[in-house]
Amino acid sequence: MLELRNLSSGYGDALVLRDFSCRFENGRVTALMGRNGMGKTTLLKTIMGLIKAKSGSVRFDGQALETWPTHLIARAGIGYVPQGREIFEDFSVTENLQLGLLGQDPVGALPFSQIYDWFPLLKERADQRAGTFSGGQQQILAIARALVGGPKMLLLDEPTEGIQPSIVHDIGLQLAKIAKETGLGILIVEQNVEMVRTLADQVLFMENGEIRESCDIEAVKQDDTLLHRYLSV
Amino acid sequence: MSELIPIFLDASSYILILVLVALGLMIVFGMMGVINMAHGELFMIGAYVMVLTQDMGLPFLVGIVLAPLVVAFFGLLIETALIRHIYHRPLDTILATWGLSIALKQLVVLLFGPESHSVPLPVDGSLDVGTFSYPVYRLILMLTSILLIGGTFWLFLRTKFGLMARAVIARPATAAALGIDTRRMYRWSFVIGTALAGLAGALVAPIISVDPQMGLGYLVPGFLSILVGGAGPLAGVLAGGAVIGGVNNLLAVWISPVAALITVYVIAILIIRLKPEGLLGGRRAK
Repeated sequence: MLELRNLSSGYGDALVLRDFSCRFENGRVTALMGRNGMGKTTLLKTIMGLIKAKSGSVRFDGQALETWPTHLIARAGIGYVPQGREIFEDFSVTENLQLGLLGQDPVGALPFSQIYDWFPLLKERADQRAGTFSGGQQQILAIARALVGGPKMLLLDEPTEGIQPSIVHDIGLQLAKIAKETGLGILIVEQNVEMVRTLADQVLFMENGEIRESCDIEAVKQDDTLLHRYLSV
Repeated sequence: MSELIPIFLDASSYILILVLVALGLMIVFGMMGVINMAHGELFMIGAYVMVLTQDMGLPFLVGIVLAPLVVAFFGLLIETALIRHIYHRPLDTILATWGLSIALKQLVVLLFGPESHSVPLPVDGSLDVGTFSYPVYRLILMLTSILLIGGTFWLFLRTKFGLMARAVIARPATAAALGIDTRRMYRWSFVIGTALAGLAGALVAPIISVDPQMGLGYLVPGFLSILVGGAGPLAGVLAGGAVIGGVNNLLAVWISPVAALITVYVIAILIIRLKPEGLLGGRRAK
C-alpha cells in the first residue's frame, strides 16, 4: 500500500502540491484526473523522488520513502512510466526491457516470457530499434519496461497522450487484466475518459494541488457532471 | 609501392596513438559531456608513474598495471570531490578542471622537477621486412591500441554495465526510475575514462619525452578528434582520429609539420562548420 500524508512539493519556491494525503491500495486502479497544471505529474514525480518533497511523508509497504534516492524507490517496488514515454530510442526493444531488469532485485522480477504473453508485439519486434516504433508501440514498451522489474505499484503519467484510440483501448484492457491477475496497484494520471472508464476502479479529481472529489468508477460512468466540472476548461 | 608502406605504417601508428590517448576523453567528454581540462594531466601522471617505476628498476609491465590504477584513484577523487557537484554545468566544469590541471602540473614540477624525463624502450630492435625496418615497440603499441579500442567498445556496447551507462547518460531520470544507481554509473564511467588516460600515458611514455607540459599537446588533438568525429557515437573518435591524425601525419611527411597543423585546423574548422554534429552525427539526439 502506498500512503501519502500531508505531502507538499513543487519547483523552486512555487508550491504545486499542497498537503496532499491519500492511500492507494495494492490491486486497485486509481485514476487521477484534472486539468493541466493541477499538480498531477508533480505528484508522481514526488513519489518517485525525482522532485524532493518539501514536507510530508510517502510510505510504501511500511517504509518511509520521502528521503530516498529515486533508484531505491524503484527497487522498493514502485514502477514508473513517465509522461512522453521516455523510451531509449537508440536501443533495441530487448535492451529497453533489459534496462527495466538490470537495476532491480532479480528475485521479484518477471520473466520476459510473461511480458511477451501480455504484449506479443514486443516479442515479434525484439531486435527492432525502439525509436522506429509508433507512439502507441513505444507506450507499450515503456509500460512493459516498468513491469518487468516486478513492481507492486505502477505509476502511469498520461499514457494515452498522442496515441491512436484503438491502441488506447487495447492498453487499457491489458492493464486492467494485469492488475487483476497479479494484484498490481495502479495509479494513473489521465485526461482520456475512455481510458479511465476501461481501467479504473476509483477516480480522484484534483485541482490546485489538492484532491477535490473522490468517487467510484460506477458513479462516473452514470453521471458525468464531475468530469465536466473538473476537466472542461 | 614499397616506399609507401612505412609512410602508411607511420600514419596508422600516429592515428592509433591519437585514438588511444583520446579514448578516455571519448568516454568522459564524448559520452558523458564533461569537459575535463585536466584530462591531459591525467595522461601525464600515467607517464610519470611509468618514469617512477622505471627509476625504481621495476619491470615495464608493473608500470603498465600501476599507471591506470593510480590515475583511476585520482579520477575517483576528482569525481567525488569536484565533478559530481558540477555535472551539467559546463562553464563551471571548465574552470574547475582547468584549475585542477594547473595544480597537477605544479605538483609534478615539485616532485619531479621541470625537466623532461625519458623511459627506455621495453623492447629494443626492429622488424625488418625487405628494405624497410620498423621499431617493434611501435608495432606492439599499435596492436595494444587496437585491443584497448576494441575492449572499450565491447565494454560500452556489449555488456550490461555499458548498456546501463549509456542509458544513464541518455536519460538519467528515467534510468533512475528503473532502479539504476545513476551516481554509481556516472562515477565509474568517469573513473574508467581517467584510467584509460593513465594507461595511455604509460604506454606512450617510451616514445615521447615526459615533461610537466606534455598533457596539453595531446589534449587538444584529442578534443579535436572527438568534435570532428562526433561526440555522441563511440565510433566518432575513430573517424575524427583518422581525419586529424591521418592528415597531420601524412602532410607533415610530405610538406612540413607547420603546414600539416594549419591544414588540420582548417579541415577541422570546415567540418565543424559544415557538420556541427561531427562526421558520425550528433551527441544524444533527443
